[in-house]
Amino acid sequence: MTDLSAPSPNAPRRERGTAEIVAASLPRRRRKQRLLQAAGIAAIGTAFLVLFILIASLVSTGWQAFRQTHVTLQVYVDPAEIRAERLPRGGFDDVLTAALAELLPGVDLKDRKTRKKVEGILSNGAQFTLRDMVVADPGLIGQTVSLTVPVSDPYDQLAKGLIDRQTPEINRRLKDDEIAMFDQLVAAGVVSRPFNWGLFTNADSRFPELAGLKGALMGSFWALLTCFVIAFPLGIGAAIYLEEFAPRNRFSDFIEVNINNLAAVPSVVFGLLALAVFIGWFGLPRSAPFVGGMTLALMTMPTIIIATRAALKAVPPSIREAALGIGASRQQVVFHHVLPLAMPGILTGTIIGLAQALGETAPLLLIGMNAFITSAPASPFDSATALPTQIFIWADSPERGFVSRTSAAILVLLGFLVVMNAIAIYLRQRFERKW
Amino acid sequence: MTSAAFIVLLAATLTGYWLNRRAAREIRARGERLHSLTTYHGLFAALSVLVPVLVVILAWLLLQGPVIDRIVLSGLPDEAIANLDVNERSLILSEIKSIASGRVFGTPEEWKLAAADRLNDLRNLSGWLMVAVSALLSAVILFVTRRRVSAGFRARDAVERIVSGLMIFCSLVAIFTTIGIVLALVFETSKFLSMVPLTEFLFGLNWEPQIPIREGQIAAEGAFGWVPVLVGTLVITVVALTFAVPVGLFTAIYLNEFASPRLRAVAKPVLEILAGVPTVVYGFFAILVVAPAIRSFGASLGIPVSPNTALAAGGVMGVMLIPFISSFADDALSAVPRALRDGALALGATRAETMLNVLFPAAIPGIVGGVLLAVSRAIGETMIVVMAAGLIAKLTINPLDSVTTITVQIVTLLIGDTSFDNPKTLAAFALGMMLFIVTLLINVLALRIVRKYREIYD
Amino acid sequence: MVDMAAMGTTMKDMHQTDRNPTMTEPKISAKNVNVFYGETHAIKDVTVDIADKTVTAFIGPSGCGKSTFLRCLNRMNDTIDIARVQGTILLDGQDIYDPRIDPVQLRAQVGMVFQKPNPFPKSIYDNVAYGPRIHGMAANKAELDDIVESSLRRAALWNEVKDRLDAPGTGLSGGQQQRLCIARAIATSPEVLLMDEPCSALDPIATAQVEELIDELRANYSVVIVTHSMQQAARVSQKTAFFHLGQLVEFGDTGEIFTNPRDPRTESYITGRIG
Repeated sequence: MTDLSAPSPNAPRRERGTAEIVAASLPRRRRKQRLLQAAGIAAIGTAFLVLFILIASLVSTGWQAFRQTHVTLQVYVDPAEIRAERLPRGGFDDVLTAALAELLPGVDLKDRKTRKKVEGILSNGAQFTLRDMVVADPGLIGQTVSLTVPVSDPYDQLAKGLIDRQTPEINRRLKDDEIAMFDQLVAAGVVSRPFNWGLFTNADSRFPELAGLKGALMGSFWALLTCFVIAFPLGIGAAIYLEEFAPRNRFSDFIEVNINNLAAVPSVVFGLLALAVFIGWFGLPRSAPFVGGMTLALMTMPTIIIATRAALKAVPPSIREAALGIGASRQQVVFHHVLPLAMPGILTGTIIGLAQALGETAPLLLIGMNAFITSAPASPFDSATALPTQIFIWADSPERGFVSRTSAAILVLLGFLVVMNAIAIYLRQRFERKW
Repeated sequence: MTSAAFIVLLAATLTGYWLNRRAAREIRARGERLHSLTTYHGLFAALSVLVPVLVVILAWLLLQGPVIDRIVLSGLPDEAIANLDVNERSLILSEIKSIASGRVFGTPEEWKLAAADRLNDLRNLSGWLMVAVSALLSAVILFVTRRRVSAGFRARDAVERIVSGLMIFCSLVAIFTTIGIVLALVFETSKFLSMVPLTEFLFGLNWEPQIPIREGQIAAEGAFGWVPVLVGTLVITVVALTFAVPVGLFTAIYLNEFASPRLRAVAKPVLEILAGVPTVVYGFFAILVVAPAIRSFGASLGIPVSPNTALAAGGVMGVMLIPFISSFADDALSAVPRALRDGALALGATRAETMLNVLFPAAIPGIVGGVLLAVSRAIGETMIVVMAAGLIAKLTINPLDSVTTITVQIVTLLIGDTSFDNPKTLAAFALGMMLFIVTLLINVLALRIVRKYREIYD
Repeated sequence: MVDMAAMGTTMKDMHQTDRNPTMTEPKISAKNVNVFYGETHAIKDVTVDIADKTVTAFIGPSGCGKSTFLRCLNRMNDTIDIARVQGTILLDGQDIYDPRIDPVQLRAQVGMVFQKPNPFPKSIYDNVAYGPRIHGMAANKAELDDIVESSLRRAALWNEVKDRLDAPGTGLSGGQQQRLCIARAIATSPEVLLMDEPCSALDPIATAQVEELIDELRANYSVVIVTHSMQQAARVSQKTAFFHLGQLVEFGDTGEIFTNPRDPRTESYITGRIG
């Protein structure tokens, strides 16, 4: 032991006491602390800022796509152009052009250039709307019908103020005379900008003003349904086995390692698997939501397994012991007592897994769910796109109108994700039990 | 016919349940004591029918396509297909298929029309056979299981054995998936390597996969050296991590030590939202906002910036990784025992000193594991780079230049092309193989580090 | 385990040597201290004076608030979000809860040793040098070496570790780790040393070593020790405070408390009826 009565020769002799030394060091150290805190705030601020810019840029470009410029025309279904016996063929576009010209005094349709410009105002889909009306009711021939149809993309942009009239004419998509024509229509009071239901009721189209998400929504629905039907029972079965029944040996360790690794395999690799095995070897159809759903199921299963195991683990052993104590078999214990108690946790995990699957894109690209398909799928075996692949397709399209459609589609996708996560959070809070 | 088969299956399952349960009830009504509840007798029959018949139907559906194809091909006149390679045969086959489904282009040869008829007949026959076989099998099983109903029959044990088997099967799906991935990649990659030597693939400095597909088409000879693709991937990964690691770590440090509960309550959900945004959205964000911003910033400095710069793709990928790294670092910091923190504070260390000198060093293994997992994510991330990075493989490490990545090449090589017999498509699988190996190694290493680290403090 | 008679004599010796409480200013003076953990009222109106160069023991049944009160003395309760402290605690006449006081400076003056040894996962040398380093107490490496050596000597650990100062502190035995933590605490030359059940994780031999050390530290420091072992309090302290349900029941000379308790609760505890 050291001799404490005399101060140790090694002890530093200090003129100043601890308090003074520390006080002297404090300003420097406080500065350092402030620096660290500032770095932390800057980092969090960066995350906030990026999220803000992301949302703001999507909303500012996307909100316009939720409205669509329409023009209301009084169309005289001219029997000279459209004859009942030739339906569904007929000069529907000419009839529409004539109706439009009515509203544009001073426009000479005989001039081919002018005529083309007038035709260009209306969306390409307008004539089909009229055709479908007339085919459904041939009695309309020879009458005048009131028709509200979308205008084509450049005029839609003009009406939304996305085309700057100050830009020199040469750099503008619409020339001065075209803008003048449109202004005449606006002055005539036939231009309206209602909510764009077409965004949800139309399938994809080459023309931005007609393109909608119906096909993508249905495709995603079928794919998610397939994914759920496959991954939910398989995931729960695997989780119950691993958590409640599997003996602790090398084999179950191997399964566990496998599941953990699968959860971290890049999604594009699952796409390769699906392409080679499902489509290449088994000959399943390309672009089908069913195949997409199977692929997504393989990716979602680890998530469901991990969530289910956590939920099963959270059920206290006392419940199992109580049930075993009155002579229930181990499976009865699990299926009658443990599983129902764990269900809210399992559902929460499943919904979160499905939300991830809904946003998954790469594997769907590889199995061809990025095809250009203009009708919504009626079954999971029809060719279709999905919401994220539709976003990818539109983001790749050169037409200006698709930029705001893309943002709008993203807002729709994010909306679904928010709703799904909100349900998951609600379930967790509503049914969470503290044991 | 498929739906008919499933209706047979459903009906047989329900019948089995009902028959056996009724039989068991009758035994009980006679006053005998049953070993198992009547429900279990019913379930036993239902499961005994459901499982094997379902397997038969699914196997039939999977196998009938290839088998019918083979029969049709072998039935073709010899002179028509004698000198054709696999490629041309599959072309003929798909032509026959489209004729069979009613889409006739031009005037096909007579033997093709005949083959199409045969194809349709075979499909019809196969459908009927499937229904017949499943009905027959169901009937046999129903009969056998019905005979087993007796007072002493341990129906519950039998049911539980079947359920156990089903659950084990569910657990095996994970292994099947892994095996499927490995087999698919190995198989297609070996085909690729039979066309392109391994050394060229691994060490070649040129990646120009656009090779002539039709004869006489003018295109490059095709070069398959993955080095520039790998370098591009690494450039983007490095850019992403240079952004994400500091931001993620400082976020975690601040939230863990300094943030008020209020800020924490706001920041955590914000990070979770960033983590939940689908990558295709980040990709669009990169081309809509980030790339133009970088380009105009570069222009204002007079630096030429390519339109799909690695900086834009990497930066946006970094944003995606922030929540990933910060949550891992936060967990690692929280796992450091409170005693160490108290020990430092009690010595008069400031909170910053406690964090930097004690907590952070102690948490480093966990943080390193998290960063490694982030690296693996960055390498495997697809949509952001597909949308925002370049297509041309250029051997450069300049982040302002346009580079391509493994995942971009996989996607572009496979979009719109399905034949598995030219090096262009197969190259995608070879790249996929490398991607799988690299990410697997990193993941295993990272998970091991993280687990070791947890063991220290648990 | 404890020889009561022998204990009595040691205690008497101490009385004669250095007990003159009324003459010196108290090192720490706590008045009407209340502590709340969220809704729980953990410390109720405690008033106590702690003398310099004395070992003061806090005893009482577990959950009585003795550790909580100890943690008030160097504001370690600040690190717990839900804890609130009311009342005044003066260190040399200065209110330590004064908003102008930086807890960092306070903790350098009031060191603390914890229940479980908590060496940093660093070398032995770095563990001891950590405090002096961050506070800037050594002008150069030689001075730092001096501080480390003298602290380890005073903690009676020098001879055991002088050849392996670079070895990790976590590799030492439990008793050595706790003495390392004591060395770490005294390296910043604190004026008060708080010890929160410093021997509860140690075996009897290590406990004896640490107790011996505490007795020696008394020459330079005011030592406050929380213990659940009455024998330990009797062996090492000159003053004893008995806490019960958050209240300070009795405070006085250790000899008095153990031989002639005034409060019936103290008596019940000492005789083993509560706790």
